[in-house]
Amino acid sequence: MPLWFVRGLRRGVVTTRYPARPDDSAALLPTPPSFRAEALTVALADRLVAVCPSRALTRRREVLVYDVGACTACGRCRAEVPAAVTDSGQFELAATVRARLIKHVPLTHDGRHLETGEKDSP
Amino acid sequence: MTAVQRDQTGRDPGLAGLLAGLGQYGRAADGPVITADVPVTRLEEAVRRIAAHPGARLADMFASATSHDPVVLRLVWGLDADHAYLITESVIDAERYPPLSDIAPAAFHEECEIYEQFGIRPAGAKPLNRVALPPIPGFDLPRLGHAPAGPPVGVHAPHVVGGHAFEFPFGPVRQVGVESLYYGLVTSGEEVVDLYLFTWHKHRGMEWRLQGRTPRDALFHVERTEGLGAVGPAWAFAAAAETALGLDPPAQAERARAVALELDRLYNHAAATAALCQSTGLVIGQAAAEIALERLLRLNAAAFGHRYLFGVVDIGGAAVGPDAAALRRDLPGAYGELRRAADALLTTNSFLDRLEATGILSQEAARRLGLVGPVARGTGLPVDARADHPAVPYAALAPIVATADGGDVLARFRVLLAEAAESVRLIEEMLEAGTGPGRAGPPGHPSAAPASGLGWAESCRGEALAWVALDDRGRITRARLRPASVRNWRGFDDACRSQNVFTDIPIIEASFWLTVAGTAR
Repeated sequence: MPLWFVRGLRRGVVTTRYPARPDDSAALLPTPPSFRAEALTVALADRLVAVCPSRALTRRREVLVYDVGACTACGRCRAEVPAAVTDSGQFELAATVRARLIKHVPLTHDGRHLETGEKDSP
Repeated sequence: MTAVQRDQTGRDPGLAGLLAGLGQYGRAADGPVITADVPVTRLEEAVRRIAAHPGARLADMFASATSHDPVVLRLVWGLDADHAYLITESVIDAERYPPLSDIAPAAFHEECEIYEQFGIRPAGAKPLNRVALPPIPGFDLPRLGHAPAGPPVGVHAPHVVGGHAFEFPFGPVRQVGVESLYYGLVTSGEEVVDLYLFTWHKHRGMEWRLQGRTPRDALFHVERTEGLGAVGPAWAFAAAAETALGLDPPAQAERARAVALELDRLYNHAAATAALCQSTGLVIGQAAAEIALERLLRLNAAAFGHRYLFGVVDIGGAAVGPDAAALRRDLPGAYGELRRAADALLTTNSFLDRLEATGILSQEAARRLGLVGPVARGTGLPVDARADHPAVPYAALAPIVATADGGDVLARFRVLLAEAAESVRLIEEMLEAGTGPGRAGPPGHPSAAPASGLGWAESCRGEALAWVALDDRGRITRARLRPASVRNWRGFDDACRSQNVFTDIPIIEASFWLTVAGTAR
């Protein structure tokens, strides 16, 4: 046991400065997607819904509904439609109310933006 | 494994004799994979013959069926001394087939699984355990075939306990961060008299879910089957699909896969070391191993863009190549962290005392149950797909297969440490030879006719196997996933029964380092 005591003293504290500042490795983490509403049509949204393995994406009429709580940041949606989906770069997703994790992305139709809901994605 | 005399084809005369015996049923060789059609009437005889062949082990058994055709039963044999796999195919057109686990005990788990999924069972009155089907009245599963006539009646439930022993139910929810698993512990107070496991809580029907998908689409799900240890099963699945599609991955992409596979092994062995420390109450040692683990995970992310190495393997090659500069810069430090922690552990008597003579598994049991990976190698059995069935990048590098004697937790720990050192050497060799992304052809390229293939890889837990059948559109009609966890859990109860007490079980479980998700898949 003294061996481990000495080793512990010699090694010192090993931790990060988080949450005071993000750790350097945070840049390497996969993060949930961010959607460019102006580039998303109903047809593209259906493709995104089809590839989402955790059913975090659904479409209700002309709105893409995104459940951040169900998203695993797998990146399939970004790979499917890279022009409309990017990495959000955010991984601090906690919310005190479940409903705040549900995002609504209005879809375009024939290039015209439909004002059908809030445009908020992480 | 003893050396064998080989004929001009590179195969030993014994194998030629074995194949000649099976040849009367018709066989085909596709590189290192030999397929033989065996009528069900001759199946028992064939299994006896193959099981008696030196170095042969039953690596997997599974069934497939379409809605119109009868069930086809496939047995996959690892002929390790001959560097070949042998698949026997038998059409089962009745509800019963010969009881193969009486000859090859490693078949028992699969006999249970096949009964639940296809409704056929071994002849005789041997009870079958529940694998995926929970004992909930009215509950049913999506199946690969048709439902059994009745629910399985387990050999261990209801459990008859006599004398002063009693049954202690533990799980499936056990502790934070540990997979759900139900232990049925039979004890007289502290000593483990008997133990059985229920894993159906985690069954997700992965093989059923892969049907109808393209190989590339399925690959995404395959590498998430176990989570910890994505590369081995993914490589095995990709190799199976590539055989079916006739794809030949570029050499630098094969080496990229191999680098990812060795990184996978490194971080899992570090995680197993941390778990061993936790289970023995050595908190500082656990912290030291977890520092190494975190550095290795960050190295994975720096090298391949994902901490758990998802998305590296692709059908026909590798989707990404490693960042060689990051690996050369950070691997020595990350591995050195693990090595220093391990060296200190190996001189800590209070740690070693808990490992020594704990969870002993005999080599005979490992061989009989068809165990693989560090668990088998800890009994002195040198089974390693990298050496026995080398894929392109390993053939030239001759990986050193680490073994240890004793079969206890300490032997398994020593194997893990030796393998970690070998993984570092192999990564350096692969980088030297050149690595990078690349594909043989368009992923999921449909073949002109239905085709099938077998794939394998030596994952961090041992040999991972996959068998894939595609239709003429390149869609999966049957995918068989056999991660190493499927094999090695069947040795866990044997190890726990060998004069251990309750507090030894977490130590044994850490040394096996298996996933419940992999076996329940």
